[in-house]
Amino acid sequence: MIADTKEAFITERIEHLRERLLSARPTICTERARIYTEVYREHESFPVIVRRALALEKTLAEMTLYIEEGSLLAGNQASKPRAAPIFPEYVVAWIVKEMDELDKRPGDAFFVTREQKDELREICRWWEGKTLIERGYSLMSPLNRDIYESGIIRAEGNLTSGDAHLAVNFEKILEKGLAGYLENITTRTGSLDRNDPDYPAKRDFFTALGKGIEAFISFIKRYEALARSLSDKETDHTRKTELLTISDNCRNISERPPSDFYQALQLTWFVQLVLQIESNGHSVSLGRMDQYLYRFYKNDIESGRITDDFVMELLGNMWLKLLSVNKIRSWSHTRYSAGSPLYQNVTIGGQTTGGRDAVNELSYLILRSVGMMKLTQPNLSVRFHRNISDDFMMECIRVIEKGFGMPAFNNDEIVIPSFIKLGVSREDAYNYSAIGCIETAVPGKWGYRCTGMSFINFMRVFLAAMHDGLDTMSGRIFHKGTGRFEDFRGFDDLMNAWKHQIEFYTRASVAIDRAADTALEEMVPDILCSAFVDDCIERGKTIKEGGSVYDFVSGLQVGIANLGNSLAAIKKLVYEEKKITREELRKSLENNFEGKSGERVRQLLLNYAPKYGNDEDYTDILLREAYMAYINELEQYTTTRAGRGPVGCRYYAGTSSISANVPSGSVVPATPDGRKAFTPLAEGSSPSSGTDVLGPTAVFKSVAKLPTDKILGGVLLNQKLSPSVISEESDKRKLISILRTFFTTLKGWHVQYNIVSRQTLLAARENPEKYRDLVVRVAGYSAFFTTLSPDTQNDIIARTEQSL
Amino acid sequence: MLSVFNIQRYSIHDGEGIRTTIFFKGCPLRCLWCNNPESHDPAPSVMYDKRLCLGFGDCAIEGNGAIVLRQGRPVIDRSLFRDPLRLNNICPSKALVITGDSMNPGQIIREVEKDAPFFEICRGGVTLTGGEPLLQGPDLKKLITGLKKRSISITIETSLHVEWGRIKNYIPVTDMFLADFKHTDPYKFREFTGGEAQLVMDNLTKLDKSGAPFIIRVPVIPLFNHSEKEINSIIEFTGTLKNVREIHLIPFNNFGAEKYRMLGIDYSYKGRKRLTETDVAPYAELASKKGLTAKIVL
Repeated sequence: MIADTKEAFITERIEHLRERLLSARPTICTERARIYTEVYREHESFPVIVRRALALEKTLAEMTLYIEEGSLLAGNQASKPRAAPIFPEYVVAWIVKEMDELDKRPGDAFFVTREQKDELREICRWWEGKTLIERGYSLMSPLNRDIYESGIIRAEGNLTSGDAHLAVNFEKILEKGLAGYLENITTRTGSLDRNDPDYPAKRDFFTALGKGIEAFISFIKRYEALARSLSDKETDHTRKTELLTISDNCRNISERPPSDFYQALQLTWFVQLVLQIESNGHSVSLGRMDQYLYRFYKNDIESGRITDDFVMELLGNMWLKLLSVNKIRSWSHTRYSAGSPLYQNVTIGGQTTGGRDAVNELSYLILRSVGMMKLTQPNLSVRFHRNISDDFMMECIRVIEKGFGMPAFNNDEIVIPSFIKLGVSREDAYNYSAIGCIETAVPGKWGYRCTGMSFINFMRVFLAAMHDGLDTMSGRIFHKGTGRFEDFRGFDDLMNAWKHQIEFYTRASVAIDRAADTALEEMVPDILCSAFVDDCIERGKTIKEGGSVYDFVSGLQVGIANLGNSLAAIKKLVYEEKKITREELRKSLENNFEGKSGERVRQLLLNYAPKYGNDEDYTDILLREAYMAYINELEQYTTTRAGRGPVGCRYYAGTSSISANVPSGSVVPATPDGRKAFTPLAEGSSPSSGTDVLGPTAVFKSVAKLPTDKILGGVLLNQKLSPSVISEESDKRKLISILRTFFTTLKGWHVQYNIVSRQTLLAARENPEKYRDLVVRVAGYSAFFTTLSPDTQNDIIARTEQSL
Repeated sequence: MLSVFNIQRYSIHDGEGIRTTIFFKGCPLRCLWCNNPESHDPAPSVMYDKRLCLGFGDCAIEGNGAIVLRQGRPVIDRSLFRDPLRLNNICPSKALVITGDSMNPGQIIREVEKDAPFFEICRGGVTLTGGEPLLQGPDLKKLITGLKKRSISITIETSLHVEWGRIKNYIPVTDMFLADFKHTDPYKFREFTGGEAQLVMDNLTKLDKSGAPFIIRVPVIPLFNHSEKEINSIIEFTGTLKNVREIHLIPFNNFGAEKYRMLGIDYSYKGRKRLTETDVAPYAELASKKGLTAKIVL
């Protein structure tokens, strides 16, 4: 174990790569779009999965390859670093509409040349009417389509891109090699029963998979050749040798399993890369990297083949590779995912399947290298468990102290038992990893979107409950309510009205999910991603058709704290203390607290009602009850894979709401927690900005009172600490001790920290050019602060700075 | 009943581990630099923060003549207050608040227990401070024994400016004393705190003899004791004590300035810059040379 902390230094090579990548302007790349369009046009009559295999094959064979000067790893997503490929099969409508605005966005701007625009227009013309989003819309009932358009339920990301939100089986890939997969596919194809009614579908599936893996092998061989030819031309001796090594590595791993750590890392990157060329689904995660790479590391260290310094350099190079991947989203979707995040998660720590502490030397190196690079990728998660060492925790706090929001903590003590209760095998449950932001799944065995189904805007639903079902923003009654708030005699009437409405919208959200899922299954089946997830090959099915071992999903609920605070404020001030009349509250909400009387009501709501995040049972229990109404309804529904193979095919709750709290708030009128109209909602499961006044322990207590064992899609808690709170060694030990209590005793689910002083954020907002590398925790992921829109920046500044 | 003006959770700089600090109201001293002026008066205090005032005027209605509105904002004549509690929870924006709650030991224990799960791993607990906690009535003993019954460790921060009997009474139930030691010179002590240095030093000697564990806390204050000579005499005296565990140096800060304004009291240290760690570092060195374990507490 590496007990002492030595400050990790970035080598000159990595520093150069880092500098070049950070200064690269995000652009787009049309290569993939062009090739996919050609193949789709040429083979319109082919089964979709075969068409997609051919398109992938041609893309991997023809796309521009390059190896950056000095890079130790090969593999690029598009023709330039930070260039986002276009995936026209999912959606083109917004691309055409927003093309001229891409470089003018207040956040996440992309720079597109005139030639690219012309080409894109032509490509998009062919796709109009043929894309995923159009199919998805056509599968929604008119009512659900209207609800979707109203913004109460959102699922844009589900109809404009692939699914992802999973980790593939890296352990198996590194063990079998790509040839091993190919062999398995060939055997399975040979043993297909021609009398099986599913025979044609299965045959097409295996044809596609075979082509996909072969294309992947050839892709790696292209890098082998490229590296060799670069080496031939290289005059610098050291670099010449490096390029030769890259070439040799590619040759070795194109079919066979890797034989050392360097090759294993290269293959891991290639897999991660092709998944993000095949589909633009985000949160493609790397799983438990410190576990599956450890045997390679250990062998190499023992045989003296590598040093820790070289491993650190390779890992630094790997994190830059992850950051080079880019994704372009529509502006409306960007507001929900600010900072161009790809959420490629790496998980370390946790326990072995036997329940022992799994932290090893590589866990430390991964942690340190991520701390050394201070990038937005990977999204690093540490699995906490009761026997994790103080030494490793201290190392985590030291990285947290650097202030870029990582690592985040997930908790074995709640996730593992909850998974086992759901039917996950003990061995698999102990092997879970974080996916994307904070959500969790068993890598290589779990289907798409353990979180990332549709968003429900809780506060829009709550306001509809107060208005007899009327959604004032759209002017529609989507579901007739139980009366108007003015007429509710007691608090129970209000709670019942909420339950009545949320049950309806829960059903609507599942229906919208089913429309999206059906469209995704029919139109954009993933080939390589299915190949690398168990038991797709055994069942002859894509993930979407029910190929995965487990299938549990969650949507995202936005406005958790606002819901609790609104309920508490009304119960206490209107019904119990009668400080505010029903009529006063109704009028104040309608006028957005305008005028002196409106402001008076707002002040009472803010100052005289207990708030979530202060360990007050009054609010916390009301919130739990209201949230359970959603969960109880949700638990009755299944996914489109039910009865088709996987264990589960069910929903649980999730609050990993990324940056959705800002745009979700922008469509919600004033709320009874004293929040003004169209301002941000609270993010994740965190308290509303500025309302948690008793410090971190009280916040922990409140959050732990949520039904966390049923919110397995993530109980997202962001805490902001000022640097002074953990500057001393003893302060760090105190932080570790409250984390232990939060996780071990209170069964907390997750926490992550922003350690940036308010002054720094304000300065960065004023002088973005000086803070290009300032990374902050947004919500479940980190982003470059200066790339965020002013609204999101202000929201981050406003979140309470826990201080003493 | 006990008079409390604040219960602060996750206090990490007032003793070992994570602590819940209970601030009691009422103090025998009037230190000119005091950070908690609302702790002086044992009775509830009216605090008015004009930054939060939105001019609703409810206070003028309930104020019985002690508050009048001028240009929509309250002007307070504190000499006319009869029953400040009438003003409790009157102001919608909480610009005007009544500080100081009467709480019974059970209520306080319930608050403390909320963070009890966090105490175990870090050996945290409760710190009683003020004001002067030892000036509270017999309920204080009930509070402490109640907490001890729940295995919660007790630290008491005291000015030592009380009769010895009050201190002695608590020795058997206190795990650690944080004993304020501000100055050795009787004139200066009187001038800046209104109290008697001798009483503090006598109590310190007795506390030491009793065998109770204690930490000396020295606020380093400009014009008062911020000189090598004065701090040295504190260190000299401390050096003669046997049971002292540590000596803490607390650099002056002006975080309390706003509270003086809210209470309508003059603040002698208004506008004075806070001291930094570097300013008091030489004193910590002096103490170390004397064989004491010195810490700077910010």
